[in-house]
Amino acid sequence: MARISFQEELDELELELRTEGELVLRSLRGAVEAVCSQDLELADEVIAFDDDVDAQYFEVEQGVELLLARQTPVASDLRLVLALLKDNLHLERMGDLCVTIAKLTKLTKGLPPDEVLLEGFKEMGERAEQMIRVALRSLQERDRVAAESLLELDELIDRANRRVVNRLLEIGHDLERREWGLRMILVSRCLERIGDHAVDVGEQTAYLVTGEFREFTDASR
Amino acid sequence: MADEQLTTIEPMSLADIAQEQSDKSFTNREAVFEVKDLAVDYSGAIAIREVSLDVYKNSVTAFIGPSGCGKSTFIRCFNRMNDLVPGAHIHGDVLYHGKDLYAADVDPVEVRRRIGMVFQKPNPFPKSIYDNVAFGPRVLRLRGSLDERVEKGLRQAALWDEVKNRLKESALGLSGGQQQRLCIARCLAVEPDVILMDEPASALDPISTTRIEDLMHDLKREYTIVIVTHNMQQAARVADMTAFFSVDVAPDGNKRTGILVEYDRTSKIFTTPADKRTEDYVTGRFG
Repeated sequence: MARISFQEELDELELELRTEGELVLRSLRGAVEAVCSQDLELADEVIAFDDDVDAQYFEVEQGVELLLARQTPVASDLRLVLALLKDNLHLERMGDLCVTIAKLTKLTKGLPPDEVLLEGFKEMGERAEQMIRVALRSLQERDRVAAESLLELDELIDRANRRVVNRLLEIGHDLERREWGLRMILVSRCLERIGDHAVDVGEQTAYLVTGEFREFTDASR
Repeated sequence: MADEQLTTIEPMSLADIAQEQSDKSFTNREAVFEVKDLAVDYSGAIAIREVSLDVYKNSVTAFIGPSGCGKSTFIRCFNRMNDLVPGAHIHGDVLYHGKDLYAADVDPVEVRRRIGMVFQKPNPFPKSIYDNVAFGPRVLRLRGSLDERVEKGLRQAALWDEVKNRLKESALGLSGGQQQRLCIARCLAVEPDVILMDEPASALDPISTTRIEDLMHDLKREYTIVIVTHNMQQAARVADMTAFFSVDVAPDGNKRTGILVEYDRTSKIFTTPADKRTEDYVTGRFG
């Protein structure tokens, strides 16, 4: 009694999650591009696009619910379904953070930007994108080492975040740029949080592979 | 096997250590049975071999595995039911409270009183409900009020309320689920220590199955329960410890022998089994 249909349903669900990941990547690229080029139209597109991410989120959520109800997965199947359930939430949160970036972009309409900070966002955006890719690939390939490498990538994005804060302190004497900068510090924070969610996805992969859940870092330290 | 697995695991968190200790406290319970290197053959054909495990007091222990893995043969070793099978030979040790169950001075009838058995198909005697439960105490001439014994047995088997007004009616008029609980009551009436159940719910409807499972949960406070089941979710629901048996096929493809693959806490077997074969079985990819 090899459970062929069950395996197909599991594969399908995993594919749905990867699709959601691709949508989040598009949203992220759009959000970073919008903020760096002050493109308000693009910002609106990113905000609207979140409906697509949410729809995909519900798709995965419902798939998980159905699988749990009908197939009663156990052992590694159970761990996979639980990991998908949590990864789904992390991806959806990343999508929301992209929306926040887009909204902040609109809020700073007409304020003079700081080129150094924009460069910083570009870098953080690229790092966040890379982290999402690594997180999704580590899940797909059940690669615990790759999943754990997210911790080092997260350190890089955290450092970039600190550089943004330092730069903001430097430009704080300029009133106009200060308002822009204060809003932009939240953009930096959003990108940094996206990195954290990617690490969480990696933790789920490690859980899936080893059967033991542990956080890569202890937040209390 | 379990020890090998542990050595490859990385340093444990505090939560893991706490979990590990609570697990130990479970397996530190008194062992009712200690099985050491057991094998059973039927006229030379080996049905099961190299089985070693302990069954713990006041717990439910489940044996799962595909057909032909020897789990029914194995459970019958616990009350010497295989004695009744011509050509059956038992090798290795089965200790019951530390005493050799197969020693020459052990009376098989006394063994079966203390270690009762419930079978797949309810098998009440074609007698009244009362006489079914009273049968054992009468035969064994147990002292005390027979009425009280019958009532207690029926109450413990969660059947009393349904039959108290028709104790003199035939047991064959009961539903399948009621008949099975009657068999459990009959087993309990002789005050056993252990109850062996060989697929006790596989002939029952889902509601009756739930009642039997609830019953196991209640009964383990006073008794030790060992169950063979084909229904993995049943094992997951009711058992504290689960043993997975499989079939070892000889290279020539002819000889098929039951072996014990993995024995651990049920929570472990159904979340992170140590052996790939267990994983394949519980996830439904094999068997």
